[in-house]
Amino acid sequence: MVATPRDPLLPTHWFNILHDRPQYVTSALSRSQLGGVAKSAGHSVFLQQPLSLARQSLNTADRFIPIPGEVLDLYAQYRPTPLRRAVRLEERLGVNARIYYKYEGANLTGSHKLNTALAQAYYYAGAGVKRIVTGTAAGQWGTALAYACQVMNLGCTVFMVRSTLRQKPVRGEMMRLFGAVVYESPSDLTEVGRRVLGEDPAATGTQAVANGEALALAAEDSGSRFAVGSGENSVLLHQTVIGQEAVSQLAQLGEFPDCVIACMGAGSNFGGIALPLLGAAQDAGRPIRLLAVESTACPKLTRGRYLYDLSDALGTTPITKVYSLGSTYVPPPVYAGGLRHHSAGPLASAMYADGSLEAVAIDQHTSFRAGLLFCETEGILPAPESAHAVAGMIDVVSRHPRQEAPLVVLVNISGHGLLDLGAYRSFAAGEIEPVTADEASMSRSLSALEEFNRSIGEPAKTT
Amino acid sequence: MATGDSSGPVVRPELNRSQATSLVFQALTVVIPDRPVETLDERQELYADLGLDSLGFVRLLLEFESKLGVQLFDDGLMTIKLLNVGDLIDLIERISLPAVR
Repeated sequence: MVATPRDPLLPTHWFNILHDRPQYVTSALSRSQLGGVAKSAGHSVFLQQPLSLARQSLNTADRFIPIPGEVLDLYAQYRPTPLRRAVRLEERLGVNARIYYKYEGANLTGSHKLNTALAQAYYYAGAGVKRIVTGTAAGQWGTALAYACQVMNLGCTVFMVRSTLRQKPVRGEMMRLFGAVVYESPSDLTEVGRRVLGEDPAATGTQAVANGEALALAAEDSGSRFAVGSGENSVLLHQTVIGQEAVSQLAQLGEFPDCVIACMGAGSNFGGIALPLLGAAQDAGRPIRLLAVESTACPKLTRGRYLYDLSDALGTTPITKVYSLGSTYVPPPVYAGGLRHHSAGPLASAMYADGSLEAVAIDQHTSFRAGLLFCETEGILPAPESAHAVAGMIDVVSRHPRQEAPLVVLVNISGHGLLDLGAYRSFAAGEIEPVTADEASMSRSLSALEEFNRSIGEPAKTT
Repeated sequence: MATGDSSGPVVRPELNRSQATSLVFQALTVVIPDRPVETLDERQELYADLGLDSLGFVRLLLEFESKLGVQLFDDGLMTIKLLNVGDLIDLIERISLPAVR
């Protein structure tokens, strides 16, 4: 088969920040420190991920990790992605800044998630796995994985958070088009789902529950394995093609950003664009500001605790140190479903803890307004998640003093919003209110999180 | 399972049961530092008694790679399910066999 010619700007390696900053290797808690583990007698230990993939999450030896040729050929079908200067937006805002954006929504599945979906499907297929089971919040990861599994001749099962699947059922249709089996989560297929439905039949669902259901289903079939689309170091690694391309594309324009901005779900699109820029800034000995934009409905960085926590409702995944609102927190349903995960990933959390990144929380009303402005001026309708990044960027450039040198900013538009037209229509009709966190749920969840950490002797560190 | 050299020719003696046990205990104390070697025995369950989860299992395999001077490949690893320390020792004996190096 003849492969798509590879553009010279397409990176041949992933950039591994763990080489430069080995202190960011995931800090995980041994379950032997927990009480009650003995209740799980008879539970076998096995690899959830292929070793080659898991190895990437722990690799501190190599600054660059080669991208397999088969994955590169698939990247070549849609990469490099565009980097543009948002001139009309600059004019409309009247700011003292040069605004650049990287656009990841131009592939079939519509978001950056395809960068890791293709890589993960490649490694799972190579390891002999027959089916990947996953949880998805907004559906971008589920769509990307469904397509990648089809490409790699793997089966795919997706548990999609109920509130977002009902907001945009066409996401489910896309996954089915690519051959995936799609379930609404919580479901009655698994014990986790039945437990949640038993407590509240109208439960809107969370990423933690969807992941828990996926883990449970995967455990029932020896040929199936669970996969995640954000948070893990290897996932962020795969996304670094975004930032590496941006470094090269900006260099062609004689530019380097003062500030890099992306939305924050668990950290994959943020890490994808920010980590290579951080590495390039280090190499050049220049400062760089990294800003993560989260949702006020799920303010894990700005209001969470840096503690050991679970990432799924089943409770079998590694217990890692992350900024979290607690795995039992149920964020209000917002259209940016990809920002509803209760915790940031371990790497993004470690960066926030040591001050390498800043964070701001923005409500969906502000972000939809920013998204529409971006559409009017730049001709791209951002996904609701990406619209948070746009809103954060507008806030940054609007504060930059006129008497100083123009601020150069780079923002990641992680996906398109063409499957979110209903949400944009509701906003335009004045039907969308700013949504803040569910204070009662957050208080209960944080208390449980802190109590769990006290029980293992881990002191709480607040923001 | 397939293995390969990580750094050219390395002499790796085939391990007997006692040597494999010693290696497994050493590796477990690296991955689970709060478990001293004298508290380990073959009948302990990896998850229920030692708290070893999937990430811990990955770290353990990487520790074996380092100690045995081999690189483990994905092929075949995904089908391995281990219940107790004894299963782990069996695995190390298999890995150290010349036929699977």
